[in-house]
Amino acid sequence: MKTTRLRRHAGKLALVAAALLSTQAMAAEQGPSLLQNKCMGCHIPEGNDTYSRISHQRKTPEGWLMSIARMQVMHGLQISDDDRRTLVKYLADKQGLAPSETDGVRYAMERRLNTVEHFDTQLSETCGRCHSGARVALQRRPAKEWEHLVNFHLGQWPSLEYQAQARDRDWLPIALQQVVPELAKRYPLDNPAWAEWQKAKPNADVLPGQWAFSGHMLAKGDVRGVMSVTAEQGDTFKVEVKGAYADGTPFNGSGTAILYNGYEWRGNVKVGDANLRQVFAAVDGEMKGRMFEAEHDERGLDFTAVKEGKARLLAVQPAFIKAGGESEITLVGSGLDGKPDLGSGVEVTEVLEQTPTLVRVKARAAADAKPGQREVAVGALKGVNLAVYDKVEEVKVVPAFSIARIGENGASVPKVQGRFEAEAWGKDANGQPLRIGYLPATWKVEPFNERAVEDEDVKFAGKMQPDGVFVPGGAGPNPERKMMTNNAGNLKVIATLADGGQTGEGHMIVTVQRWNNPPLP
Amino acid sequence: MKHLKPLNNKARILEQAAAEDRIEEVVAMSAVAGCTATTDPGWEVDAFGGVSSLCQPMEADLYGCSDPCWWPAQVPDMMSTYQDWNAQATNSADDWRNLGTVFPKDK
Repeated sequence: MKTTRLRRHAGKLALVAAALLSTQAMAAEQGPSLLQNKCMGCHIPEGNDTYSRISHQRKTPEGWLMSIARMQVMHGLQISDDDRRTLVKYLADKQGLAPSETDGVRYAMERRLNTVEHFDTQLSETCGRCHSGARVALQRRPAKEWEHLVNFHLGQWPSLEYQAQARDRDWLPIALQQVVPELAKRYPLDNPAWAEWQKAKPNADVLPGQWAFSGHMLAKGDVRGVMSVTAEQGDTFKVEVKGAYADGTPFNGSGTAILYNGYEWRGNVKVGDANLRQVFAAVDGEMKGRMFEAEHDERGLDFTAVKEGKARLLAVQPAFIKAGGESEITLVGSGLDGKPDLGSGVEVTEVLEQTPTLVRVKARAAADAKPGQREVAVGALKGVNLAVYDKVEEVKVVPAFSIARIGENGASVPKVQGRFEAEAWGKDANGQPLRIGYLPATWKVEPFNERAVEDEDVKFAGKMQPDGVFVPGGAGPNPERKMMTNNAGNLKVIATLADGGQTGEGHMIVTVQRWNNPPLP
Repeated sequence: MKHLKPLNNKARILEQAAAEDRIEEVVAMSAVAGCTATTDPGWEVDAFGGVSSLCQPMEADLYGCSDPCWWPAQVPDMMSTYQDWNAQATNSADDWRNLGTVFPKDK
C-alpha cells in the first residue's frame, strides 16, 4: 500500500514536471514516455512498457479516446489535445482490435444511432440498459478486467443498482459470476484473430493514391467521385475528395486523416460548409464505412471506395430500372475498361461518359424484360447487380425505427434530425422479394397512437420537409403544451411514392436531448 | 403484481400492458443503440417504445435525475463525475439553456 502511495506521489511530481514542459515539446513525446509521464501517477508499472489496467485491455481508437477523456474528467489527468492524440494512436496501434473483432458492431463507431441492437438478454440487461451493447463488444479484456469494470460502474454510478433491477433480484452475483465469465469468453484479451492481425497488418504506405468512391446519403441521394490520398508523417494523410451527388450537387473538399492499427481510417474533410468525419475500415485495397457531419452525425453517407490498381466494379447508381423504362445509369469503380453490359433485356443505348473510375450510360429496359437481378459488367469486371422491376409491391420507410431529438431554441445542443427514404420492393420472375431501391416519395408524419393524438404530437414535435428530412421542435419546456411538456412526440413516418402512390410506414420517436455524447453511444 | 395496486395513470398503463403480455415485444423493438428504453423509466423512450410515460418536461425534475446518476450515459451525473455541470443553471426550469454537453472536445 505504502509503495503504491509513494508511487502515486512520484507520479504526481512527474505530472507537475511534465506540465512545465512546453506543449510543443509534449507533442514530440512518444507513446511510451507519455504513458510513463501521464499515466504512471495512478497506474502501476509492470515492466517492459506495461501498466496496471491499461496493458490488459484492447480497444478501438474511440474506446481509448473515451478512456483517456474519462481520466481527464474523473481523475484530473492533465493532458494536451496533441498528447492525447499521440497516446490514442499509440494505444490503438498496440492494443487495438483485429478487423474481424469489429464485425457487426462497427455501427457504433460509424455513429449509426438508429441501429436496433440484438444482443442476448443478459448482456442487454446488464450493459445495454444505459449505453449501447456495441460499446462493450468493441473491447477485449480478461475476466479480471471485466470484473474491475463492473466494480467501477457500481462505485461511480451507485444507482445503477436500480437499473439492474436490484429491487427484484440479487444482481451483483449475476454480474460478477455469470456476465463477467461470459464477457471474458466472448470478448477475450488474447485472441488468435488479434495475434494474426498483428503479424499481417499492412503499413500505412499502401494507402496513398487514388480511390474511386460510391456513397449514399439518406434524403439526398447517391454520390460518387475520387478521393486522393497523400502520405504525411506518422500514418497521417492529406485527403482530397472530388465528386458529385446524382442530382449534380458538387462533393468537393479536402482535409486530413490518420490510420490506426493498420486499418482504422479516421478523417476530417471539409465538403462545402460541412465538416465531415470519415470512419472507415481500410482493408485489402478497399475502404468501407460512413462519412458524417461532426456536429450532426445523423447527416451522413454510407461510403465504399476501391483503390486504383485494383480493378473492381464498385456500384451501380441507381441500381434499378423499370421494365419498359429509360434511365441514366452510372457505374462506379476502379480500372473500368471495356464495354458496359447491363444484362438481358436491358440495352445500353448511349455511353455518355467513360473514365477508369466512372461509366455513365443511357439505358432502356424492354417492356417484357423479366423482373429480377442482372449481373452488370464493364469489360470483364463484374460483381454488382441491377434490379429490373415491373411494379412496386411494397414500400419500406428507411430507417424503419428512428430517434430524432429536440434541441437549440437558445441552447447549445443541436437538434438531431430524422432523414428518410422510401425503399421500394417488388417481385422477381419467380415471385421472390426483389429489392428495387430508393424511389422518390412525398412525406408526412401522423400520430403513432391515441396518446399521440391526445398530446398533439404532430403539432409540437417538429416539421417534416418535402425532401424527407424531419426537423424536430425546439428544446425546453413548452408553455403551450399540457403540463408544459417538451416537444417530444411519437410519430408515424409515411412515405407515398411519387410514381404509383404506394405507401410505407416507419416509426419515429422525437425525444429529449442528450448531453453526454461520447464517440461510442 | 397481485398485491400491488397502481396509484396513477402510468402505473395503470403498465399494469394493463403486463396483463396483456405486451411489454417484452415493445422493449425488443426499441433497443436502439445508446438509448435507454428498458431503464426505469427510459430517458428517450418508455417501456412502450413511446414517449408518453417519460418524466416530462424533463427540466421540471432534471437534477433529481442527474444528482443520483439516473441516466449517466445520457445525462451528466452530478454525484460523481460532473459535479459542476449545472453551475450556470441552478434552476433547471429557467436556466436549461445554459446546460452543455460534457465530452471533452479536441480544441
